[in-house]
Amino acid sequence: MHMATTLTVNGEQKTFDAPPDMPLLWVLRDVLGMTGTKFGCGIAQCGACTVHVDGKAVRSCVLPVSAVENRAITTIEAVGNTPVGAKVQKAWLDLEVVQCGYCQSGQIMSAAALLAETSHPDDADIDAAMAGNICRCGTYVRIREAIKQAANGRQS
Amino acid sequence: MSGKMRILTSVAVIAIVAAAAGVWIIRGPGPLDFAGGTKVALADYRAGKPTGVPAKLDKASLVERGEYLAKAADCMVCHTGPGEKEYSGGLGFKLPFGTLYSTNITPDKDTGIGNYSDQDFLNAVQHGKRRDGARLYPAMPYTSYTFMTDEDVLAVKAYLFSLPAVRAKAPENTLSFPFNQRWAMIFWSAVFNPDTRFAPDTSKSPEWNRGAYLVEALAHCGECHTPRNPGFALDNRKKFAGAITAGWRAFNISSDKPTGLGNWRDEDLISYLSLGHAPGHGAASGPMGEAVDHSLSQLAPEDIKSIVAYLRSVPPQPSPDLPATTAPVAPASHKDGVTADARGKMLFAGACASCHGWSGESPVSPMATLTGSWAVNDPAATNVAQIVISGTKRHTPDGALSMPAFGHAYTDDEIAAVANYVTARLGAKGSKLTAKDVAGLREQTAE
Repeated sequence: MHMATTLTVNGEQKTFDAPPDMPLLWVLRDVLGMTGTKFGCGIAQCGACTVHVDGKAVRSCVLPVSAVENRAITTIEAVGNTPVGAKVQKAWLDLEVVQCGYCQSGQIMSAAALLAETSHPDDADIDAAMAGNICRCGTYVRIREAIKQAANGRQS
Repeated sequence: MSGKMRILTSVAVIAIVAAAAGVWIIRGPGPLDFAGGTKVALADYRAGKPTGVPAKLDKASLVERGEYLAKAADCMVCHTGPGEKEYSGGLGFKLPFGTLYSTNITPDKDTGIGNYSDQDFLNAVQHGKRRDGARLYPAMPYTSYTFMTDEDVLAVKAYLFSLPAVRAKAPENTLSFPFNQRWAMIFWSAVFNPDTRFAPDTSKSPEWNRGAYLVEALAHCGECHTPRNPGFALDNRKKFAGAITAGWRAFNISSDKPTGLGNWRDEDLISYLSLGHAPGHGAASGPMGEAVDHSLSQLAPEDIKSIVAYLRSVPPQPSPDLPATTAPVAPASHKDGVTADARGKMLFAGACASCHGWSGESPVSPMATLTGSWAVNDPAATNVAQIVISGTKRHTPDGALSMPAFGHAYTDDEIAAVANYVTARLGAKGSKLTAKDVAGLREQTAE
């Protein structure tokens, strides 16, 4: 059953038809054409599909679209518009974190949510916030560095 | 009478009296004995209509009425094997003494119940007797269904006979001796099957009587929620005190305030029964999730209200191993609160926190909030471990919500660690599960 649904994505109202149990990730990628958010495992275990809902990092692949009406959704396409998101993206570029890149939109979304809540995270904070984002290329060391750089504003 | 005869007669009388007393003691009270009021035959009860279907279906066809009653009796969940066609049987119940498989109850003549006459079907459902005369094991809850009226049982039969016949033979049971001796169930049944139809209680309201019929005859709540006696029959001295069934803990649903339903508001009970979730009480999963999805959520609102009215009247039974109050919301930061189990924490961070939150309040959906649920407040962590092993898929009016199964991905040791962390962080008292405990839980689940 399709229903007219309205979501607030990156500050814009988007209205479309979708079944209420369609995962947000499908809506973003297939209905709205926003393909920056990636599909990885489909069961909330890899983090590639991470977006922000009301500022918190969530896995969009298991989130039925009916659960996020009236909530503010931010995706990788617009996270750079926030001061924290911009700092994270700059650090990512400065440190050349990315290898293949598939997981990186999820990594950046999780890192931005972490820094929005904890402005100077220590290693334990980074572990707790980033453990659910898996990187097949093993860029974890650079991810950790980049988060610290974004927090401290220091250049390497 | 000679002296010898007199002694023999006395011995025989004493033996018979002792046996009768033994039966009386082990059988214990019936499921409705707690109410204590005056029971009348259904035909003589004028205050309401406790049996049958809700008013909106009064004019419905026999098959439609049977469908409602079959859902209320939750036949399908047990009579469908994993991935098989509905009602075609084959679900395995793992017991300590072997595995018992549910049967095909589609109208297939060779492998199902296609040859059952009305009387055959009544014999099976109310008396635990198969068409070929063999006895059913009480995994089929005929000691509950025996309270159903003939009319209702036959409506269920009409519904089942309206379904497509599926040719499917259930695997052979693997019970060990002496449990593989079906004939012995004659004695079990003679002692433990009340073999009586529902009799309304005139001292209670019509709503209560409807609730009693739904809970005892159809929904068979006690089959999971009432502990069993040494004869594997329900021990109604501890009615609804909670029990472990198929490896999951069915929690206390007596009116006990701290550990039963005594402190639940009516609207929370209604929500839990009809949606499988109530704010502050967590979500139903495992066997209860199935009971909600396939049975309770399909019931008319007035029937759910009747169930609530009835449940409220069941005398309190404490669960001494549960905390008097469930734990409040845990701190939002991973650093605050309990961090006893470093390995459990690592697993929680990677696999759990993104949906359930560090506080236990889900950023994703109220259905995924763990705070307040008995599962995380149970110091045995039975259901936490089970849901980590098998995951969950629930159907709600807003769509399906699921949690992946981790049983194949994680070792028993890891599952124990994360369950211990979850109960310590989000519950009142941390569990002390070991890998061996988790292996034991895996053994018990139906499949």
